[in-house]
This record gives sequence, C-alpha cells and structure tokens, in this order.
Amino acid sequence: MSWRGRAGWSRYPRIILTCWRAAVATELEYRLNFVTGALLSLFWMGWAAAGVAVYFQFAGELVGWTYPELVVVIGLFFTMNGVRQAFLQPNLDAMTEHVRRGTLDFLLTKPVDAQLLVSLRHLYVGNLLDPFLGLGVVAAGVVASGHGMSVVDLAAFVLMFVVAVLVLYALVVALMAVSIRLNGSEEVGQVSFGLVELTRFPVDLYRDPLRTAMTVVPVVLLTTLPAQAVLGRISATSVVVAAGAAAVAVAGASLLWRRALRGYTGASS
Amino acid sequence: MAEISIRYPALMRSSALAVLAYRGRLVVGFLTDLFPFLLMAVWLTVVATAGPPRGWTAADFVAYYAMAAVLMQLSGQHVVWEWDRDLRSGDLSVRLLRPLHPFHQYVASDLGYRVVSLALFVPGLVLVAVLLPVLTLDLTVTRAALAVPATLLAYLVGVLMASIVALLGFWSTQTTNVWMLFWGLGSFTSGWVAPVELMPGWIEAVAPWLPFFTTLGFPVELWTGRMTESESGVHFVVAVGWALLFAAAYTVVWPRAVRRYQAVAG
Amino acid sequence: MVIAVDGLVKHFRVSRRAPGLRASLGGLVRRRYDVVRAVDDVSFEIPEAQVVGFLGPNGAGKTTTLKCLSGLLHPTAGRVSVLGHTPSDRSSAFLEQLSLVMGQRNSLFWDLPALDAFMVNKTIYRIPEPRYRETLDELVDLLDLAPLLDRQVRVLSLGERMRCELAGALLHRPRVLFLDEPTLGLDVTAQAALRGFLADYHRRHGATVLLTSHYMGDVTALAQRVIVIDRGELRFDGDLAALTRRHAQHRVIRLQLSGAVPVDGLGLDVVEHEGLSLSVRVDAARTAEVAARLLATLPVEDLAIEEPPIEDIIRSVFAGG
Repeated sequence: MSWRGRAGWSRYPRIILTCWRAAVATELEYRLNFVTGALLSLFWMGWAAAGVAVYFQFAGELVGWTYPELVVVIGLFFTMNGVRQAFLQPNLDAMTEHVRRGTLDFLLTKPVDAQLLVSLRHLYVGNLLDPFLGLGVVAAGVVASGHGMSVVDLAAFVLMFVVAVLVLYALVVALMAVSIRLNGSEEVGQVSFGLVELTRFPVDLYRDPLRTAMTVVPVVLLTTLPAQAVLGRISATSVVVAAGAAAVAVAGASLLWRRALRGYTGASS
Repeated sequence: MAEISIRYPALMRSSALAVLAYRGRLVVGFLTDLFPFLLMAVWLTVVATAGPPRGWTAADFVAYYAMAAVLMQLSGQHVVWEWDRDLRSGDLSVRLLRPLHPFHQYVASDLGYRVVSLALFVPGLVLVAVLLPVLTLDLTVTRAALAVPATLLAYLVGVLMASIVALLGFWSTQTTNVWMLFWGLGSFTSGWVAPVELMPGWIEAVAPWLPFFTTLGFPVELWTGRMTESESGVHFVVAVGWALLFAAAYTVVWPRAVRRYQAVAG
Repeated sequence: MVIAVDGLVKHFRVSRRAPGLRASLGGLVRRRYDVVRAVDDVSFEIPEAQVVGFLGPNGAGKTTTLKCLSGLLHPTAGRVSVLGHTPSDRSSAFLEQLSLVMGQRNSLFWDLPALDAFMVNKTIYRIPEPRYRETLDELVDLLDLAPLLDRQVRVLSLGERMRCELAGALLHRPRVLFLDEPTLGLDVTAQAALRGFLADYHRRHGATVLLTSHYMGDVTALAQRVIVIDRGELRFDGDLAALTRRHAQHRVIRLQLSGAVPVDGLGLDVVEHEGLSLSVRVDAARTAEVAARLLATLPVEDLAIEEPPIEDIIRSVFAGG
C-alpha cells in the first residue's frame, strides 16, 4: 500500500464533487422526473407505513416494537436505500461497462486511491432527496413513539448511522469486486438491491433461521441497530461491536477489491 | 381473432429465448419473488404474538403467500416499462410498421417472459413444499377447474390495465411513475399488502369490486380454498366486467394515441 | 401511380432550451416553442418499380417525408397515397406490402441470432413456409448471411447488422421499399456491397424503391430518378443523368502540404487554401491526371479525393434552376 502525500488525497473530494455537480445540472433538464421522483418516494414511504399498520390491527406491539418504532425502521430503510440508489448503485452498475471496455486497466497504477473514485464517481440525482425524506420519517416516528431523545441517544444514533453507511459502502465495494471476478456480470448489481430490501423490518420480526442469517451478513446493522439507538434501546456492547464490524467490513471490502483488481489485470497480461 | 393468436407462439418463443439470454432480469425477478415470504414471516410473528388474526392460522398464511408468490409471477405490469422505453427511444416506430397491433406484440412478448418465470419458480416452490410439509392446498377438481380460468382472467385484466396506463406515454414522460402510484394504491385492495380479509372493514368492502383484486386475491383465494366455489360466481362476473371495460377503453384511446405519435414523433 | 404525394406539409412544434444551469431552472417555469417546417409543399408521383433517390443535406426533410409515406407521421396538410392506401391509416393490408429500413433503428432482437427475428417476421407477415424458405435462401445467398445467421446480433459489426436488417425487411417481398440512409456509417466496401445488392434485388423483383441519402454515390449506383430536397422544399425532380451532367461532374482533391507554396499560376481551381491545407476542384474525368500532377509538383504530405459535398450540388441546382 502506498500513501502518496496529503496533496494527492485532497484532489479526490474536488474531483468527485465536480462529477456530482455535472450530474445535478444534467438531471435538472429532466426536471419533471426529479419532482415526480421525490413525490413518488414520499408515496412509497407512506405506503410502507400504511402497510405495516395493517399488522397492528391485531397486536399493540410486535416482538417489543410498537407501530411508531417500526415507522422509524421504515424511515431508516428508505434512507439507506436512498443512499444506495443515489451514491452506490450507479457505480456498481457501471462495473459491467468497465470490464467490457477495459477501462479498469488505467487503475493499475493507483489501487488504493482508485477505489474511492470508482465507487463514488457516479451520482444518480433522481434519488438524492430520499435519504433526507427518510430521516424526516425517522424523526416523525421518534416523536410519535413518545421516547424523549437524550444527547447520548443522538450521539449513539449518529454513530450507528455512520456505521450503517460504512457497512453499506463496504457491501457495495465487495460486490464490485465480485463483479470483476465474474467478468462484469450484471446480476451482481441486483444482489445489493435484494439485500437492502431485507432491512425493511427490524430483524426481530423475522424468525430463525432468517434472523441469524441476517445478523451474520450484517444487514441488521443497516436499520435495526440505528433504530434501536435513536429509540434509546441500544446497549453499549452493541455499539462497540457494530463499530468494530464496520471497520472490519470496510477493510475487508477494500482487500477484496484490490485482490480483484490484481486478479483482473493478471489475467489480461 | 385466429390470425392474431396464431402469431403469439412465435413472439412468445423469441421473448422467452431473449430473457434466457439476458440473465440479469431473471435475478431481479428472483429477488422480488422472495418479497411475499418476508411479509409472510411478519404475519407468522403476529400469529405467535397475538394468536390467529381473524382466524388465519400459520398454515393459512403459508398457503396464501405461496400461491400469491406464484400469481405475482403472472403480473402483466412489465409492459408499462416496455412501452415507455420504446416510446422514449423512438423504437415504437419499428413496431408500428408491422401489420400487427403493438398491443399484441408487447403482450405476446410478456407472455414469453411469464412462461420462463413460472417454469423457473414453480418447480422450486414445489420442491420446498415437498421438503417442508407446511404447505397444503387440498385441491378439489371443481375448485381447480375454477381456479385456472380465474388465473387466466387475472393475467388478462392485469395486462389490459397495464397496457391502458402505458398509453399515457404518448402524452407524458411520467408513465412509469403514474403506474407505480396506481399500482401502489391498488395493492391495498389486491391482496398484496395483506390478504383482503385482514384489511380494515372499509377496504374489505370495496376491494372485491376493484380490478386489483381480480389480478391477485381472487385466484389466490380460489387456489387456497379460502374462497368457495359458490362465492366465486360474483367475482368472475366482476373480473369479466373489468376485462371488457378495459378492452373497450383501449379501443377508444388507442386511435388518439397513435394520432398523437403521428403528429409529434413518428 | 404507386406513390402519389400532393402538397405535403409537415410542421413540428419544438420546445426551445438554452444551455446552462440557470436556463434549466428558468425552464422549470416557462417553456418556449418554435415551429419547424420539416416538409413544405412537396409533390411528386412515383410509378411501379421505379427506383428514386431522395437527396438532400442533413435536416432537409428526407426522413420526415419517408415517415409520412410509411404512416409513421400524419401530414400537417396535403395528401399522400401509397399503393392506393392512406399511410397514416395504417391498415394491415398496407403494412404487409411495405418495408421501411432506418439505419439507426434496430428491428432484430439484440440478444438473439438474426434468424430468430426472421422467424418472427415470418409469422407477423403471414409468409407461407415454402415462400419463406425460398426468399430466405435467396437473401442469404445475395447478402452472404450464412456465417452470420447463428450469431447474436449484438456481436455483429454495423455492416453485418445492416445486411441482416435488410434481409429481415425483405422477407415478405414488399412491393414498396423505403430506405433511410442505408449506407450511413458503413465503410467503402460495405457501401459498395450494399448498393450492388439493392441493384440486383431490384432487377429480380421490381419493387418500388425510395431511398434517402446524403451520399451522391448511393444515388448514382441505384436510382434512375432523383429528387432533391432542401430545407423542406423540393428543388429538383428528374433524370439522374441530367443532374449529374449538370452538377456532379467534378471532384474535390484535399491536400495536406508539408511546406507552404504559392498556388496561383498553377492553373488550379482552388476551393480553399489555408495554411498548409489546400482544396482543389477538378473535372471528374481528369481526377487521376490532376492528382498525379499535384503529387509530382507539390510537397504533398496527405491527399484525399472526395465527391462534391451535397451542399455544392444543391447550391448549383439553385443557381442552375
């Protein structure tokens, strides 16, 4: 691993921001799509909240989760899904083209720096509002649940939120690596969509064996733990373990990525 | 009629082959296939927590969602995206030049996709049913004799409904968004969000009269035996009524849609 | 008359969009429209089995006219009749005798071999099996498709794909064949092969053919009659020989020199002389002779021989009348 001086690193945020600005300018051409897309996202959140309400005709709480608390999870699901669709999925989907066109080759020279660029370059503006709308739903759910939120809760939530984003990022980078290994297979991109769909409900609502499976593949970290944090129900152990898991996930994904790059170029030479 | 249906097999065949060539779509389909079972899992938790809601036992939920998953394979809604894509790209012109109404080109193509979808999904489901004897259907001959046409009607109404909404694309770029809104609202009455019997009273009352129930809840409840043979009579009438209404609406709107295309895009 | 066009007019309303972020935001509130007169009062008649070349620069209205003739567009004004039908009615009887091949449009299945699309066409156009076999064999032979038939369309080159598209379009032996820029994007060999095929096919089957192009070469190879369209208006309708005799009897030699030289006094018809680039007009018959002389007497680094751009021909059509 080579760390080129600080100056080298400062270029990347600017490069990425330029890419994002261009994406926004282009998308505004399709202005109507943007507005209706945001409205539709709101609709889906309402739809999900209404759907969950059906269960609560028959029980006041499910496995210790009340209705407003489940709404918090729904809000977090839309937030994470929005982050995935806006920032990560476009880059994952681009891997197919990269492999097909051979544009991965130029990344040979800087394997570490390239990961950030390749994983964040593309931005899909259509879903940009989703994370914010989702957080709005989270706030509404917290208020409705009647839990006062302390500073500790907020801090824990922010931390678990960052953990969740990192885990999601690691997941997508790992899938990018798999995509290279499978010669740019398009199917890999859809796996991320499926995995995140599983986080719509807190993991407690599923029964074993699905429940254990989701803890092992740390999907639980995406919505269940941040929800518990903001609702003041998370234990310090969980926070520490989650933070550790996120670090391991990011490191592991980076490793997979570099291995995949090397394997790819090895094959072509 | 005969000269139209005679063209279906060839179009279905090529569409089926194309789907098999492009596996990515199958993976997406597979993942959405599994969603009903997530909903089912939550219901099972409800049963464990608060007892069978309105008498629905765990076995009832398993049977319902298994059949619902099969019926969801038969959703005709993909045509909305196909129409929209071809309208935006101008590829619709190629279809308009052929001496076969584009409606049939899209439906036949969708049917090919359905066949592949079912062929991949159903055996898997049967295997699971054999391995985990939670799933029982108790089919009688009479019920099966009704459930099959109900299933065909479900597809017909679904694909007609989708095709009409797809016509919006001749005037608007927001067709897929409109469809998703339409479908999303309808999903509360179709048996998708939850079995209609378990929805609040006012939805339960309205749902059987709406076309959405025809596309999912109606055949599913016939297959699982939730709906009796005698009860099904009304629903068949409603289903046929919607099919006729949609078909009539289509024949009225289509000439205007083509005119619009001929004025603007070509 | 197989094709009769009387006073055809086609106008489009196009929204006006300025570039830049601010303009895009402004466009959220208000949209401006322009009227584009794609075709303006065009009339002509085409008898059975004639091959007509439709010439004009880009944006002249050629494709729009073709689309009006195939029923894809409805005229703003005027009358169009093809094989006795009104194209925009889009009757089955009409569509079964028509074929429109557009270079950029793909009618084959991307992920499947061309043969699968042919089989679908067989059913859609209700071609009986023996006639299908016969036509397919003939087309495979004439277009040399045998090695291409079982390869996915997506892996074929542009030229190969064009040949397959053409075959697919001719399976039902249309009485009327419209071709929109058929040789666009093809290399010289592929262009020549395509022109040869079309000429041969026409000789055998006598379809009425209307092809649009901005290459003079397409027209000289295939058409007996040429119609020139520019900015939606009909500029010339007549014998190809007359047009070429009058307007296309020269070539342009473009030279890239390696050193600056004075060119006045060399007896050349200079079109353009800028820096080290030199363009010279020369009679078509004397092209080789002049090119050889230039190579011998000037410090030439690179040389290209071009047909006169269509705009030149159009311009001289206006001038000549």
